[in-house]
Amino acid sequence: MRRSKINKMLNKIPTHFVIIFTMFVWLVPTIGLFITSLRPLPLINTTGWWTAFSDKNTQQTSSTTKFTLNNYIDAIVGYRGTNTYVEDCQSGSQSSSLKCNASDLLNPRGMGQAFVNSLLVTIPATILPIFLAAFAGYAFAWLDFKGRFLLFAILVGLQVVPLQMTLVPVLKMYAQTGMTGTFLGVWLFHTGFGMPYAIYLMRNFLGGLPKDLFEAAYLDGASHWTTFTNLVIPLSMPAIASLGIFQFLWVWNDLLVALVFLGGTKPVMTYQISNMVTSLGAGWHLLTAAAFLSMLLPMVVFFALQRYFVRGMLAGAIKG
Amino acid sequence: MKTKSIVVVSMIVILTMLLASCAKAAPVATEAPMAEATEAPMAEATEALMPSEIDCMGAAAGDTVSMLYQWSGVEEENLNKILAPLVEACGIVINPESTRDQALLDTRVQAGTPPDVTFWNVTQLSQYKDKLIAMTDLGVNGDNYAEYWKNIGTVDSKWLGLPVKADPKTLVWYSPANFTTDGYAIPTTWDELDALVEKMVADGKVPWSMGMESGDATGWTGTDFIQDILLVTQGPDYVMGIIDGTIPYNDPGVKAAYEIYGKWAMSEMYTVGGAAGTVSVGFNDAINKVFSNPPEAMMVKQSGFAGGTVKATYPDLTYGTDYDFFGVPGAKGLQGGSDWMMAFSDKPAVKALVAYLSSAKGGEMWAQVGFDLTPNTAGSDAYVDAALLKKGQILANATGFTPDIGDSIPGGFGSAEFKGITEYVNGGDLDTILNTIATAQIEGLK
Repeated sequence: MRRSKINKMLNKIPTHFVIIFTMFVWLVPTIGLFITSLRPLPLINTTGWWTAFSDKNTQQTSSTTKFTLNNYIDAIVGYRGTNTYVEDCQSGSQSSSLKCNASDLLNPRGMGQAFVNSLLVTIPATILPIFLAAFAGYAFAWLDFKGRFLLFAILVGLQVVPLQMTLVPVLKMYAQTGMTGTFLGVWLFHTGFGMPYAIYLMRNFLGGLPKDLFEAAYLDGASHWTTFTNLVIPLSMPAIASLGIFQFLWVWNDLLVALVFLGGTKPVMTYQISNMVTSLGAGWHLLTAAAFLSMLLPMVVFFALQRYFVRGMLAGAIKG
Repeated sequence: MKTKSIVVVSMIVILTMLLASCAKAAPVATEAPMAEATEAPMAEATEALMPSEIDCMGAAAGDTVSMLYQWSGVEEENLNKILAPLVEACGIVINPESTRDQALLDTRVQAGTPPDVTFWNVTQLSQYKDKLIAMTDLGVNGDNYAEYWKNIGTVDSKWLGLPVKADPKTLVWYSPANFTTDGYAIPTTWDELDALVEKMVADGKVPWSMGMESGDATGWTGTDFIQDILLVTQGPDYVMGIIDGTIPYNDPGVKAAYEIYGKWAMSEMYTVGGAAGTVSVGFNDAINKVFSNPPEAMMVKQSGFAGGTVKATYPDLTYGTDYDFFGVPGAKGLQGGSDWMMAFSDKPAVKALVAYLSSAKGGEMWAQVGFDLTPNTAGSDAYVDAALLKKGQILANATGFTPDIGDSIPGGFGSAEFKGITEYVNGGDLDTILNTIATAQIEGLK
């Protein structure tokens, strides 16, 4: 009895070791980034973040505080000088694009406006493909029409088309229709490239639902629309949620598509982060803060939807 | 309840779309009054002061110029400061975009939606030669540029790019304080430098700090040095010949340069740690060794960033007395990076931009802001920063400007060059090494 308990514990040691090790490897850089983002620039340049709490630090430089929110303020308002936004505003030497009042929060060069733009890109670009994929998935799984499997096979095959190959032709098309630099263009592009996988996942998930359920619904006189809204949508919530996470994170973290189709006209967060530093890498203290700002929302989304995550990942993996 | 969720979802979609359409209008709404508000009084003020200095070339207030460049952060702020007088005088609205991804520029150009102007590297001049508008058609003020700059910017006998920024690296950093104590003078010719080096060795000092360790790119400090020696012994045309392939890398001239370099880089008398030190000392440490107390070496050949490295490591040292630089003596040209303005459009606002940047006022502004150096000769004396002023003089006296050989030849040439010089310092056979690099040169230029 006792021996088996000890054995169990011993057996678990490697697992625990691996988990702790992985957590350590993942967490240390993130914590380092976080602490760095809260330190004043002179300290960042002279000492490592792991010495942030020791007293020796402040003696070396003229700086009096060990921690500051200046990096975050500078990142949000898009400050580009060599000092800090607060200091410049106090001395009145701020650049012409800054007003030193609340309107700076939406300065087009800052992370504040970029956050709004990112939301405007990401929310429709997440909901649209999932919405359409749910319809298509239902059709592929439960509607009987000619060429269903051929169409589905083509669609699955489309997943291999690399996004980069289509940038030039799509941009040409957008230029002719006046859609360059518009949110609509980015939504359509993300929807187009998100759908093959979304349909594939939805179809396999819906195809795995018991046939009897649908037959019962049809027997009771339910139309396809009623079945879809009353039966399929509630049942497929885990799949929809996990698709939502995937698509949201993908669009939120995307730089390439946003850069090509929106660029500097409506800068999103990824674009703005890359512009915090100069071409030679100076100004990266702002980058640390900017990176953390852009991580906030994905973390919220992930934790809010995570209970669906594992369930959803297995969606369509086994046919019932 | 289920229909409710669909309604909620579609409402969110519609709401964000509505918001987006509002946001589309928002920047326009905020931009217009801002431009007008700042423009109206400013334009009067500048016009009253200096009426003829900025030529708007027929551009009207509110005309836009889209720009794509590689600068960001403080660099972007510098550019804004430089362009501010033009924006104020003519009311031009600048729509900048910043990326370090050349693929974006290529994609935009191929899709037929290029920016009005782009600030990019010299290689893009020949890449887009069919699509670029000649500077002479855009009202450029050519008198403000040395002949060699125009030659670099000319493709198929059309002047396609305006050099706007240059950062020469043909520099030697030293400590004026140490030079004074030891009674050394700054050499003005290569022979004087050679004599100075020998004198230092005779005095029991180590003249050079040549460490070139830099991870995967170990060797770049060495190849920079080689290129500077070539600029002394052969001149800029020879270096350009290597870049376009007319001169093979195993040419006797290159070999001679390697031998001059090797004499110093492989001996403990001439450089810190001898051959082993050259290969294993990091390039940043190599800079610091000259300014440590006591100094481990007297000089380090390194580009402009070395000043920043010294300042970061020894905050108490001051530029001009504790650390300073001189141009590689006897160099018939410089090497370094340069940024070029190219135009895909000939609208009046672009003409105004070209005219402004190539004008005396534009050159002076560039120098005053201190965004590296301006090839515009009108800026030569306008630098505020002492180090930039000195570099500006070196640039003004140069008779040629060459890009880094390793960066200019595509393919694996750059890394072959790095590997080659590391092997050479480690005692490899020079002829074999140069033949290998020459093969990479031919491959890269195919």
